[in-house]
Amino acid sequence: MATTPHQHASADDPRVLLDDHMGLYEPIPPYPPRTEREQEFYTLGDGEMFLNAGPHHLATHGVLRVVMKLDGERIVDVDPVLGYLHRGVEKLCENADFHQTIAYMDPLEYVASLFCEWPAVMAYEKLLDVEVPRRAEYIRVLTGELNRVSSHLLAMGFHALDLGGITPILYSFIERDEIVEMLAAITGQRMLFNYFRIGGVNGDLNHDFMSRLGDWMSRAGQQVAANAALLNENEIFVQRNRGVGTMDRVTAIKHCWTGPNLRASGVPFDLRRAHPYSVYPELDFDIPTRAEGDSLARYLLRIDEVKQSLRIIDQCLHQMPDGPVMAKLPRLLRPRPGRAFAAIEGPRGEYGIYAVSDGTDQPFRFRIHDPSFLHLQSFTTLAPGGLIADWMTLNASLDPIMGGIDK
Amino acid sequence: MDRALKARLEARFGDVLSGPLRQRHDETEIRIAARDVPDVLRALHDEPAFEFQLLADLAGVDTGDHMQVVYHLWSSTSSDWLRVIADDLSREAPRAPSVTFLWTGAEWLEREAYDMFGIRFEGNRDLRRIFMPPDYTSFPLRKDFFLPDDAARSPGAGSRHMERSAPPSAVPAGTVRRSKA
Repeated sequence: MATTPHQHASADDPRVLLDDHMGLYEPIPPYPPRTEREQEFYTLGDGEMFLNAGPHHLATHGVLRVVMKLDGERIVDVDPVLGYLHRGVEKLCENADFHQTIAYMDPLEYVASLFCEWPAVMAYEKLLDVEVPRRAEYIRVLTGELNRVSSHLLAMGFHALDLGGITPILYSFIERDEIVEMLAAITGQRMLFNYFRIGGVNGDLNHDFMSRLGDWMSRAGQQVAANAALLNENEIFVQRNRGVGTMDRVTAIKHCWTGPNLRASGVPFDLRRAHPYSVYPELDFDIPTRAEGDSLARYLLRIDEVKQSLRIIDQCLHQMPDGPVMAKLPRLLRPRPGRAFAAIEGPRGEYGIYAVSDGTDQPFRFRIHDPSFLHLQSFTTLAPGGLIADWMTLNASLDPIMGGIDK
Repeated sequence: MDRALKARLEARFGDVLSGPLRQRHDETEIRIAARDVPDVLRALHDEPAFEFQLLADLAGVDTGDHMQVVYHLWSSTSSDWLRVIADDLSREAPRAPSVTFLWTGAEWLEREAYDMFGIRFEGNRDLRRIFMPPDYTSFPLRKDFFLPDDAARSPGAGSRHMERSAPPSAVPAGTVRRSKA
């Protein structure tokens, strides 16, 4: 180890890596505080200590570091440190042509990839004034809802896993694997589908997909209910979740929350109804809400949403029209100069894209809005006062995905 | 397009709009000066005619000759997204008022805009870098930041990229904080 404990940490300085590699993960940063908030956080009171959770921690759902200020086992304050997964996707997209950017969208939301592609193609379609064929819209909704189910099942499984229950994740993976396999049958990919195209989707539904979907739909409702029964009546699980990380509705709106987390705080806000897009106005489904706003409510709300998604899938299969799945578009797109914003309701909340075109074949500005980023921010409000173990619960129930947070 | 919203916006904010009000698809767009942001957004948030209570997005934009902060708002009183563009930030020292007094959640969105564009949000209590390392000195999404030459179509093709971090010697002596542990 180095004799000088805190070099000025810089990626350019090889000594940091060679001599003082532990210093990189020292909770107290090796530079003067930049803001009052940082000064306040990194000043220890009587009997307080720092604890690093991450960047490589099983319960952080990605490469996230959370510095906790502790008094015994109680959290006094937290400071999430981001950027370990930062790839500069917005910059890459501003240097790629419109078709290429869609491939960059998938890894942002690696659990539910379609929901990051969707607002991007919607924003481009607005820039280009393209009408998407109705069959393509139905296919988008169908595959999107399947992806939402798989994402929520995974969130439920990992929620239990973070609290020490191994079994539910194995059961949720059985269902998730079925969904992933059927999506792979039409997209060719199990995880990063890259399926949506500007003006439609990459390919029509095929026999393999339809037969798998039919098989699965016949037992999906039962299976989801059986999985949920593993946890809903599990005394340990319920006790560890109830009353943890309670968010009231006013604060949730102030914190810019969206998605299941906001609805679990009692706000019936769902972009599929609040700002309808695609063919959702033609579909019949409910928006479940819960009043409690705690971790248990967020978990239960996801189960309710899975049931609604199954309803939507069923209706899509019955109402899907025939026709083309792609609009006629030139291969090289040069939208007229303009601005477009598109947002959709993903499994974690509102994904938005703000795209600015300057008339060339590359977006001039490409802004990605990710809901997990804002949910993660609320750690600083929700975690203090709880135990370290409650932080695991909180993190699992907020269900952030680091790919989208770090961009 | 929500024509009624256009009329309401022009009646209420006609004197502070710095550019034409545009409507396209499901979006309504107004432009204001950065100094008017707190008043306009507070009015949009609070007044019963607007009630834009959800901040859907906050983005920095570098247009190449000036900077912008772009707010997207949602309201139950309109079927449109409202885009508010604060339009006149200088590229040399971009400054804008913070909206954290309305939306606590804007804190990190503004940190991100600061990290990527160097826009200083006055009133944000925690304006430090969020994705890039703390000793990083450039602002990557600015248009004068070129990608390295492996991006063959980028404006920086063939030139070295502009990433620079502060050398250790640039840190004043005595300011390095030490851990108690």
